[in-house]
Amino acid sequence: MTDSPLRLLLGFDAQAQRDKSQPPAFLHRRDRKFALVCEEQGVAPDATRWLAHLNRLSGPDATPPTTDQTLTFWRRVNTGFAAVGIVAGVLTMVGLLFYDGGQRINITVFLAFGLLQLLLALFTSMQSIVGWQPWRWLIRRFQSGEASKGTINRLHPLLMARAAHLGGLCFSVSGLVTLLVMVVVQDLAFGWSTTLETAAANYHQLVQIIASPWAWLWPAAAPDLALIEATRFFRAGTEGASPDPALWGQWWPFVTMLWATWVLLPRLLLLLLTSALVRNRARRLISSHPAMHALLYRMETPALDTGNEHNDADDLPDTRIRDNLLPLPDSDTLLCWAGAGEPELPEALRSEKKLILRAGGRASLTEDEQALNQIADHLKTGGNTVILLTRCWEPPTGELQDFLDSARGIWPSGTRVALVPLAADINREPAGHQIQPWLRFAERVGNEFVRVSLPPLQWPVPHTASGEPS
Amino acid sequence: MTQAPTFAVVGHPNKGKSSVVATLSQNDAIAIALEPGTTRKRQAYPLKVDGKILYTLVDTPGFQRPRRVLEWLEAHSVSASDHADTVKAFVTQHQGDGRFVDECELLTPLLEGAGIIYVVDGSVPYSAEHEAEMTILRWTGRPSLALINSIGADDFSATWQAALSQFFQVVRKFDAVRAPFDQHLSLLRAFGQLEPDWEDPLEQATHYLSGQRQQRRRQASALVARALEDMMSFREKRTLTASQAAETSDGSLADQLRQHWYRHQRQREQTLRVDIEHLYQHQRIRRQEAELEWHSEHDLFSEDSRKAWSVSKRYLATAGFGAGAVSGAGIDALTLGSSLGAGALVGGLIGAAGSYFYGDRLALPALNIGVLRDGLKTATFGPVQDSQFGYVVLGRAIDHWWHISHRNHAGRELLDLEPADHHWLESLDKSSRQDIQRAFDKCRKRRPLDERQREKFTAAIEQSMAVYDDWRLNRT
Repeated sequence: MTDSPLRLLLGFDAQAQRDKSQPPAFLHRRDRKFALVCEEQGVAPDATRWLAHLNRLSGPDATPPTTDQTLTFWRRVNTGFAAVGIVAGVLTMVGLLFYDGGQRINITVFLAFGLLQLLLALFTSMQSIVGWQPWRWLIRRFQSGEASKGTINRLHPLLMARAAHLGGLCFSVSGLVTLLVMVVVQDLAFGWSTTLETAAANYHQLVQIIASPWAWLWPAAAPDLALIEATRFFRAGTEGASPDPALWGQWWPFVTMLWATWVLLPRLLLLLLTSALVRNRARRLISSHPAMHALLYRMETPALDTGNEHNDADDLPDTRIRDNLLPLPDSDTLLCWAGAGEPELPEALRSEKKLILRAGGRASLTEDEQALNQIADHLKTGGNTVILLTRCWEPPTGELQDFLDSARGIWPSGTRVALVPLAADINREPAGHQIQPWLRFAERVGNEFVRVSLPPLQWPVPHTASGEPS
Repeated sequence: MTQAPTFAVVGHPNKGKSSVVATLSQNDAIAIALEPGTTRKRQAYPLKVDGKILYTLVDTPGFQRPRRVLEWLEAHSVSASDHADTVKAFVTQHQGDGRFVDECELLTPLLEGAGIIYVVDGSVPYSAEHEAEMTILRWTGRPSLALINSIGADDFSATWQAALSQFFQVVRKFDAVRAPFDQHLSLLRAFGQLEPDWEDPLEQATHYLSGQRQQRRRQASALVARALEDMMSFREKRTLTASQAAETSDGSLADQLRQHWYRHQRQREQTLRVDIEHLYQHQRIRRQEAELEWHSEHDLFSEDSRKAWSVSKRYLATAGFGAGAVSGAGIDALTLGSSLGAGALVGGLIGAAGSYFYGDRLALPALNIGVLRDGLKTATFGPVQDSQFGYVVLGRAIDHWWHISHRNHAGRELLDLEPADHHWLESLDKSSRQDIQRAFDKCRKRRPLDERQREKFTAAIEQSMAVYDDWRLNRT
């Protein structure tokens, strides 16, 4: 009797439970890869191979402890039932064959006992098929923790029936052995007796029906009418009426075959049937297991990796907030960088400027150089500050840095650059987040040379001597 | 076999190149900041199916010195036919040169055969100053597509569109942070249009991506179903010995149980949220919900949550188990049995907590303090008997799922789950309502769902997700 489908179910169930805590993307990659390997090898990726594959990768002793616990539990249940069956079989047979020489061993009792055993065996099987588990509380009590959970619960009726049939089989085997031993070591006096007014012919008919399975094989085990007539006894009858004592013993082949055929054989057949049912049900439970649907889906669906492995989220540049804005200094030199102040330069910036130049953006590098020299010449005549207008939404680039590096070399020492980022709407102040890159840029270039200032939004309106606006 | 297409995402600094790559590669761990120089090296993000690359996106640093590069190129070129070679020569010449490190990084993939995805910010005015870098890109001779991203609120995309179409084969608008998933697919298809050989792999990629999205919805519904099952059937249990029972008053015992029960339920909800976020490859989401639930409108047990997510009695009545569901709490309150004495106690608790926690109103039928028996006293809290709790959890879970599934990986802002106004579950079909209610009823009786019921429950939740999605789309 192999436990392999049951073991497979337990292993599969345990793996499914563990997979619940794994990220779906990992599971998909793992199982899809397994399916592709199977495809390469030309084999079907079934549950057995899948589990074997996982266990192989996990190394020896990869069987989950719950699988072993559950199997051990049921092994113990089976052993317990078998042991009880053996002992009960011996005791029952000894009891049935109790003979103190005063009375006969009643065949009718044997017939009734055989019928009872048969009914019990059938009832056990019926119960397992219907799924009634009056003994469930007992299993719960003995089975601890994780082992009691999972799909295996649905196999409990069948497993319990299997244990019961095993117990029944052991009972009947030990009973049979006891019977044969008793037959050898004692002289057993069988007879038949009943309170009912039954003619020997009727009893013979009943016996014939019962013995029909083996009558052709072993005629001596099918008592004839003469024996039946001769071995009827009444407890209140007189001993003197008894026939030849050897006749009492002629019933033993019938009793042996009765026990073997109607007690032992049904148990054996039902045990085999239940074991087959356990295996079959375990197989069906695996194939209908919800984790199996998910597994098949994962194996069939290509694993998609969108390119999310790279992680540089923590590798951010220094973006701490700076607040070292400088008030806009006075200067008569204005340099518009990369289209800043286009199409219209704010009046507030344009007024009182002697030198307004453009560089960067569409200007060529030669034009940038000319602007640098022009400013250098202009600064020699006076002033030490250059206002550099930029577009606040265009971040500072390497070109501006190159330009400022050159300026530092060409312009008179002590020259300061006031970097003024302009908003797209020149009447509005640039947004805070657009100023910050400029502040950090000025810090990188050197705050002793470059400082950031906000553009003046409301230039003081020139007043006339009378105090009225001009 | 033809090589899988590569697309280099290039452009001026701070125009959202990394955001575009983050969204398309579903990677929220790409450094994104409004600071030039955030991306210092090129980085490839291949999309693989079963390990086979269908296409690769390459994130690159922005142009730093385009005029100088162009000047070099023009100085070393004789005719248009040598443009690509001249660009190659430029990279060879300046590899390792500190000044052109960004340009070399961004030009290298183009020289290796990548298509150009040129990103601009459509929320700032067009400026002709970008023309130097566009010219350099044109010199590479690679197929090109321009993307008008939108970082700010203003819209100058029309002028950008007109200008970019002079330089690029295809011009598309794509808001990396807000574009819905359909637009991701449509953009990828547009990438495929750049060269005949690229159409097929990009078509396959979009096919797999939409399959993955459908599957994720199914997986998300299973995660929500499992969390609901856990939360609806959860019971906090405490067994006290005679001496412990003597030291602890019923009031404080009830309070402890309630607190533990609340904490467990909040933690379970958080676990579900993290699971859903990871399912959608969001590993780094920061949520608006504070860790401190007290007096937070986002708390699972707050009155605000109940108002936002509980369903009407009319809804419950049509859920198939109407009477039972509506009066579930009442009936259980009447049949409290040994916990009848706890009624007044809980009344006191509710008074103390005020009306903030609607959960306290669920407490009466959930609390059971047993009598001292065999030297032991057992007290339990839960499972909650009112289905409304399940609907609050369901509503919150689906709302969170919706935000996550519609969140692009370029998004770095806090996840704010604002409460909804009217109830979306009203448009759920009757059989899904019944499946959900049936599952809730089983859970509150602590009866496990069998596989068939679980499948139906999961399907009903998936249906709820679809309903919620519709409701969200039609709400605005």
